[in-house]
Amino acid sequence: MDKGARPNWDNPMQFVLACVSYAVGLGNVWRFPYLCQLHGGGGFLIPYLIMLFLEGVPLFYLELAIGQKMSLGSIGAWTAISPYLGGVGLASVVTSLYLCLYYNIINAWSFWYLFHSFQSVLPWADCPINSNRTGPIEECERATPTQYFFYRETLDISSSIEVNGGIHTGQALCLVLAWLITYLFIVRGVKSTGKVVYFTATFPYVVLFIYLIRGMTLHGAINGVKYMFTPKMEQLANPTTWINAATQIFFSLGLGFGSLIAFASYNQYNNNFERQAIIVSLINSGTSIFASIVTFAIYGFKATVNYENCLERFVTRLLLLNAFSLAEDSITMDTVFDWIEKLNTTYPQQFAEIADKLENCDLESELDTAVEGTGLAFIVYSEAIMNMPLSQLWSVLYFIMLLLLGMGSMLGNVTAIVTPLRDFKITSRMSNELLNGLVCLFCLLLGLGFTTPSGNYWFTMFNDYGATFSLLFIVLIEVITVSYIYGIKRFEKDIEDMLGHRPNWYWKIMWSVTSPVLLIALFIFYIINYIKGGTPTYQAWNKELRYALGSMLVYVAKTTTF
Amino acid sequence: MLEKILILLCLSSALAEQPCKPDASDGYKVRLSIKTALGDEAYVWNENEMFLFRATLAFAMRSHLNGQEFDVSNIIVCDETPRVTFWFVVTSPLNTSGLVDKGVVEEAIRMSRNRINSAFLLTDKTLEFIGITPTLTAPVNPDTPPWLIVFGVVMGAVGAGIIVVLVSPLVLKKRKKNEETDEDEEETGVKAVENGSTREGVYNMSFSDDERLTQM
Repeated sequence: MDKGARPNWDNPMQFVLACVSYAVGLGNVWRFPYLCQLHGGGGFLIPYLIMLFLEGVPLFYLELAIGQKMSLGSIGAWTAISPYLGGVGLASVVTSLYLCLYYNIINAWSFWYLFHSFQSVLPWADCPINSNRTGPIEECERATPTQYFFYRETLDISSSIEVNGGIHTGQALCLVLAWLITYLFIVRGVKSTGKVVYFTATFPYVVLFIYLIRGMTLHGAINGVKYMFTPKMEQLANPTTWINAATQIFFSLGLGFGSLIAFASYNQYNNNFERQAIIVSLINSGTSIFASIVTFAIYGFKATVNYENCLERFVTRLLLLNAFSLAEDSITMDTVFDWIEKLNTTYPQQFAEIADKLENCDLESELDTAVEGTGLAFIVYSEAIMNMPLSQLWSVLYFIMLLLLGMGSMLGNVTAIVTPLRDFKITSRMSNELLNGLVCLFCLLLGLGFTTPSGNYWFTMFNDYGATFSLLFIVLIEVITVSYIYGIKRFEKDIEDMLGHRPNWYWKIMWSVTSPVLLIALFIFYIINYIKGGTPTYQAWNKELRYALGSMLVYVAKTTTF
Repeated sequence: MLEKILILLCLSSALAEQPCKPDASDGYKVRLSIKTALGDEAYVWNENEMFLFRATLAFAMRSHLNGQEFDVSNIIVCDETPRVTFWFVVTSPLNTSGLVDKGVVEEAIRMSRNRINSAFLLTDKTLEFIGITPTLTAPVNPDTPPWLIVFGVVMGAVGAGIIVVLVSPLVLKKRKKNEETDEDEEETGVKAVENGSTREGVYNMSFSDDERLTQM
């Protein structure tokens, strides 16, 4: 084997697992369940699956084909297709770079929570006591202990994006650890990544399965699952549902970052990527649905616990028992509402006095609090976990799963940056280890900015605006290029060369007509949204009020194509 | 005249019998939540338990005000409810009609709170003195936070892994070089023999089974 030969995956299974590990990420766990809840539960699956077949699988197939055919990273591959289109590859690399900068901070947070789970009482279960030892800290009282732990102790968040401070040392340490582990996983390129993905792709499923069993056996879990799966068919008439389905499929598969091209470039020339593309896309969507069942079981549990605590705390205890001095066991959970009525009629005056303090305990409203993103992963889930028996074990398992999902995606992201860089003459003389180390170090140093008090706001800005627009544009150019500039006929021949048969008429129609039309529609929708939305806003953590809206001038990262 | 004295006597005795009433200025309200605390093992609240309460409180007053001999009769209780709440006031042993000041009672209770709680198998939350906030226990602050320990372990493992991965190819290269220099010395002697055996080749099978399409 001469030195110039491109390294390859040891076997096709590694390639499939790498793609699964990359595509199945945090979005499957914290974005899809939210969308499901927002758009009418089980009914959302219809637009989701339709978009999967119209848009997701064809585009995935396309990127794998390009990578495997050209055997180069995104820049080299697009330059080979047309010398004027190297910019598409460059845009992918820049977008991947943005993603790398801020994505690993989520892993840092997961590490932080993981390490803090090794305590006899989970630190987000109770409010810490103030210096006078008279009660809990005020900020924590006004919010909940889980929110306090996330916003104050983990992030040490400031009140707006302009207010800054020093680096949070604990966060910085966790970020360094996250990058060291990323480096360890990719240090020898495909040779090391190929072995790691056996673990990062499969273990999250083990944990999800364990959580499914645990979740379903929790008290009140069935409420959540019922709530999620009751389809609200009228949501299908809402165009936002379809747009969200298309967007979710698009981002969930990780198209446009160049990672798929990079992974496929290490394949053997005759690898059957067609079957693999379908399999990986189906696995990705299946995982989303699986994860949302687990999430809703946990939601149902948390909502039921909160609801019963509310009834217990306010209605039963504070008001009825204490205000009317009834014996302790006279009111139970079932008889609460009868008692309220009885007392209302017999002591109307007294009841009127306390009526305003009677907190409205409603199970529906608890379930309605749809949360996504870091709020779901770090606040809602932590709250649910601390109520489970043996909470430390469940906490450790959960954060290990989050870490594996996040790390698996990071593998793809860094590979998307390193692979095109390797194709240049200057860097190909550097050893693998050195180039990878430099990239990781660069991203680490810039990523330290996210560990400052205003870091979470920067993170939100990057997350919401950094990649979405650019990706749509990149993939749109990709699909139009391949269909019309490179030509479907030439592309067909390339695929026949690799696979031995031409692609079906279905693929050809998707590439030339459906996917571009869908992407243009999404693109226009996003532009309209941006224009209508005005200056982007973000939610800030105000110590006194908990949440306030701030506005900022956004610096939207633009990517260029030649 | 006699009637006036009678009325005065009646009034004063009536007043004297009512030092304890709800919302008394020197009294405290107590609330017990026995069933919440003990569940199935809850005891029934009766006269004897009340006696124990008064005795415990007398003990608390004695411990706080050294010298003054408080007795069960100095603790007056009233307004009991089925919830198990009641009001109490403390009379001074030196002056049976005078009430002990609210602040003094509060200090006494704070000092002996633990003893009072344990006498009834209850906690600060289930035996409440309305108006007296319990002093919370100081949080345990270990020298090294536990998360740092776990972090150190993981960091050490990762660091060791990276060093192994970076150093092992260099070690292998060195070994190969040493072997090669040994082989070079041997080869010069063997060359003549090798040239004669060119016919005996070995057919390499590794590439003949390659299929056009790699299977999954």
